[in-house]
Amino acid sequence: MSDYMSEESDGEYYYDDDEVMGSDRAEDEDTEESEGEEADYGSMEMSVTALSKPKKKVYEVDYECLATSDIDKSMAKEAELLCSMLGVDISTSYQLLRFMNWNKEKLIDKFMEDPDAVKEKAGIADTPPKFTLPSVAPPPAPAPAPVASSSSSNSRRTTRSSNKTAAPPPPVVDEGWSCPICCCEPEPPTGVMALECNHAFCTDCWQTYLTGKIREEGEHSIRCMESGCNDLVSDTVILGTVPDAPKEGSVVLDDETKDKFKELLVRFFVQCNSALRFCPAPGCDYTVQCAAASTKSSLETTVPTVRCTNGHSFCFGCGEEGDHRPLICTIAKLWLKKCQDDSETANWIKTNTKECPKCHSTIEKNGGCNHMTCKKCKNEFCWVCMGPWSEHGNAWYSCNRYEEKEGVDARDAQSKSRASLERYLHYYNRWANHEQSARLSLDLYAKTEKKMQEMQETSELTWIQVQFAKKAVDEVIKCRMTLKWTYAMGYYLEKSNQKELFEDNQRDLEKAVEALSELLERPIEPETVASLRQQITDKTVYVLKRNEVMLEDTANGFLEGRWAWNTSISPFIE
Amino acid sequence: MADARLRRVNKEIADCRKDKASNVEIDLVEENPFHLIGTFPGPPDTPYEGGRFSVDIVIPDSYPFQPVKMKFLTKVYHPNVSSASGAICLDILKDAWSPVLTLKSTLISLQSLLCSPEPNDPQDAEVAKHYMTSRSSFNDTARYWTEIYAGGPPAKAGSSEQKDEVAIAGLEKAHVDQFEALGFERSKVIDVLRRLNYRGSNVGSISEDRIIDALLK
Repeated sequence: MSDYMSEESDGEYYYDDDEVMGSDRAEDEDTEESEGEEADYGSMEMSVTALSKPKKKVYEVDYECLATSDIDKSMAKEAELLCSMLGVDISTSYQLLRFMNWNKEKLIDKFMEDPDAVKEKAGIADTPPKFTLPSVAPPPAPAPAPVASSSSSNSRRTTRSSNKTAAPPPPVVDEGWSCPICCCEPEPPTGVMALECNHAFCTDCWQTYLTGKIREEGEHSIRCMESGCNDLVSDTVILGTVPDAPKEGSVVLDDETKDKFKELLVRFFVQCNSALRFCPAPGCDYTVQCAAASTKSSLETTVPTVRCTNGHSFCFGCGEEGDHRPLICTIAKLWLKKCQDDSETANWIKTNTKECPKCHSTIEKNGGCNHMTCKKCKNEFCWVCMGPWSEHGNAWYSCNRYEEKEGVDARDAQSKSRASLERYLHYYNRWANHEQSARLSLDLYAKTEKKMQEMQETSELTWIQVQFAKKAVDEVIKCRMTLKWTYAMGYYLEKSNQKELFEDNQRDLEKAVEALSELLERPIEPETVASLRQQITDKTVYVLKRNEVMLEDTANGFLEGRWAWNTSISPFIE
Repeated sequence: MADARLRRVNKEIADCRKDKASNVEIDLVEENPFHLIGTFPGPPDTPYEGGRFSVDIVIPDSYPFQPVKMKFLTKVYHPNVSSASGAICLDILKDAWSPVLTLKSTLISLQSLLCSPEPNDPQDAEVAKHYMTSRSSFNDTARYWTEIYAGGPPAKAGSSEQKDEVAIAGLEKAHVDQFEALGFERSKVIDVLRRLNYRGSNVGSISEDRIIDALLK
């Protein structure tokens, strides 16, 4: 019953937040407007299908985008539940949950076993809880989150006035007391504060200390300044919502620090919950909830690409920005690392070095004539034809013996030993090529924009009718992303019939994408624009279908365990 | 806040000078109150007894909310102190710092670190290995370092004026001589044997071939 009450007051209180939350949600939930508030608050597992398409493709996952206020609500809900279960006040409940990394079950277990020990370890002062249950509290019910504005602290103040746990009595200090940290001598009792542990320090020092811990060290559980003292500074002290706090002698942090603290609380909660992940885009504060991809094993068969309400797409599994479908996280990561480590080196080795035909040491020729003597095995050979030097006679400075058998053999052997390098570069260059194209997407959009303008001016087509071009560009960019990752996947796939089918799909998609790209480059002429439009529209649909086929087939392959990886990767999987 | 820092440091220095019992001293470097040198005696009943150790102290801008930066100026043979740079591995100089701690209390903590090494959380892995394999040999070396670097009493009667490289490395003269006789340079032999921790019971478990391999590298 307590839940119901707070639910109602919450709904009211958070109404504003919902309004600003973004049009996406508001529109999609139009139909359930009447019950919206309650359903919204309902639970963390609320099944908002608003963002997922009606028919889920095999390569898509169910997920939901949450605003910070939603996270606050989830936190508040868990904390409140613990309040009534463990008989502690809300602030303690938050701190206990944070101490246990938001593992509710573990906290309940441990707490039932020995509440004092848990509290002591968590650094919560051992004052007997005089908490009044929310259900018997006079209305308005306590607003749950300390992460809330002044209105909530007001309501809490009324319910908490009988409850002294969060308001430490002002410390008793003698005349002539000086702060052990800054050695100042504030007139008692103003400007002195102590937690329940009674370690008194001046409020200036407290402020500097707390600000530093929050802003520089990013800590959400801050202990007393005394060395070895385990007492936690309560959230209410940090947020300045201590009930009955005296005007003077209490800590006042600036709003920026308080906001940062609230952010830290949210971040920590998200971090502790494997079904939540922050949008990695800079400055974006949406969180995505995706229960389907919360376990490690699920990531071996799915690529949970999600998109936050601000439109940033990223992988829920590994946090990589963009979309690395169809390749699963572990292998995508492996590939990225390999590229980072190897591609430059490999390219340099390829262009600047050769291998000694005898001992296969890699040799860089940095000057001198073509008569090479391997430092390691003393083999003498010709840099140009790779054949043994003994066959060259006196023609020291030019090699005209390219066709000599020994030289041909040596070059064959060389290319064989370089096959793996070549293979890598084959995939890497194609991968990089699509990557580069995607990076130029902004230019492409601008160019298309201009063309659309031109079409409207030179032909009969209206604004709505020229949108096909933008749609085509959207599709091209999306497909290049897919193509890019199919090359990474191709590199790691073991040669098999399955791989051939995969490469067929890849080829079809690539061909279609290139054809569409080319159509988009065509000049606009009034006579042909109508047919060009038709062609592009058709091609766009075709490309879209090819991309779906590619993604669907690979996703099914993962589910069916159809993909066999080559040796370079097997140790990393499973 | 700058005022508070200066006020606090001055008070700390004054307190430290008043307190003769602890035998900890703090001095300014070039009149700068934020760059100091602290000294304390090696704790009794340890290999460091009799030595006097000095520590470079830098007070950061956000002191006392951030820990002081300290490192040994005197070379110390100790698992938690780098034998090369004097860097110190001690929790209160990192996360366990509290603004209530003072320069004096921190120096006293360093003093007690000398009494109770934490070889499982080493700053100097080689020294830590030495400590773990052969305590008596480690103590000899630490005592020798105290003697030659910290002005401690001579460890053995009749030890020479000259610094003994073998004793500094904590090795047996016989072992070094043995490999030097094979034609390797003495300094290289010392280096390799030290790296392989050729001490105590390890002598039996490291084959000569392995040492020669390492020497040939």
